[in-house]
Amino acid sequence: MKLEEKLKSVRRSPWVFHLNSGSCNACDIEILDALTPYFDAERFGVKLVGSPRHADVVLFTGPVTREVLPKVIRALRAVPRPRIVAAIGSCAVGGGIWWDTYSTIGGFPKLQEILKRYGVEIDRVVYIPGCPARPEAIVYGLLVALGYVKQKVSKVVKTVES
Amino acid sequence: MQVNRIAAPLKLLIIAFKTGRVTKKYPFGPPLITEAFRGAISIDPAKCWGCGACVLVCPPNALDIIFEKEKIVIEYFKGRCIFCGMCADTCPANAITVTKEFELAATNLEDLKEDVVHRVSKCAVCGKPFAPAAELRDVMKIHPITEEYANICPDCRRKRTARAFGMRFGASI
Repeated sequence: MKLEEKLKSVRRSPWVFHLNSGSCNACDIEILDALTPYFDAERFGVKLVGSPRHADVVLFTGPVTREVLPKVIRALRAVPRPRIVAAIGSCAVGGGIWWDTYSTIGGFPKLQEILKRYGVEIDRVVYIPGCPARPEAIVYGLLVALGYVKQKVSKVVKTVES
Repeated sequence: MQVNRIAAPLKLLIIAFKTGRVTKKYPFGPPLITEAFRGAISIDPAKCWGCGACVLVCPPNALDIIFEKEKIVIEYFKGRCIFCGMCADTCPANAITVTKEFELAATNLEDLKEDVVHRVSKCAVCGKPFAPAAELRDVMKIHPITEEYANICPDCRRKRTARAFGMRFGASI
């Protein structure tokens, strides 16, 4: 089965698992904010579950500290296919303020290289920048991951005329 | 007792009706954004000099300057940006503005990058590329007196000054 067909079964009601990998808790609070009645992600069937084995989407925050790395790999391995990861916040996307620290791996892109070595495939990743990401941005990112709305940003190259 | 059992939920209903609906209809309605919100920055290529002041001040190194042979590239990576707006405060040419854009979700990291490509002007004496052309253009505009030596690279300028001093004191170079 192709990924798109698999995603159709997930689309109606994506169950999310919240995975913190050494984040400062700002993004975690925003995730909880997105699930409250105020921003109400449950309109789209989003439900927070307590185990990665029940999850369709992993809400991933934090720059992946060294201490938490083996646990993160084990948690992601437990997620059933198709594995969808939403990397939330600057830390998870590009390392953030800890981009060159010795004690962190440096965000999800670096973790993905390590996961490949361990044979853990991630089917779809959606990067949601923001420090912390707004609840609306998290809802929007989830909709991009599931294919409800189109992605707005694309690579821009500006040339200076002089 | 029986009256209370019916009246207690009714009280809740009254409170709920008074408050009304609080849910934001975000993807179908306007987002909740205040005046002070800072989103992604945008660099105006018509004003940017390519001096690199924003790169020095950026805390997470989201802005990076890359020196290549014939061009200087200022690379903005939205994924690492913490949206502090320090670059907009520092920019000497006021080329950087803070927008209210926050819908930056992307499935590919390359989509989060923004490049500003500068042409490097060459030294009039030795022909070595040394500074972005836009910077020289605007410096000449602000201080017209620099026009005669702004297009010469620092090495050649040093040699020229030394030579002028030598001539002044009667040396034959």
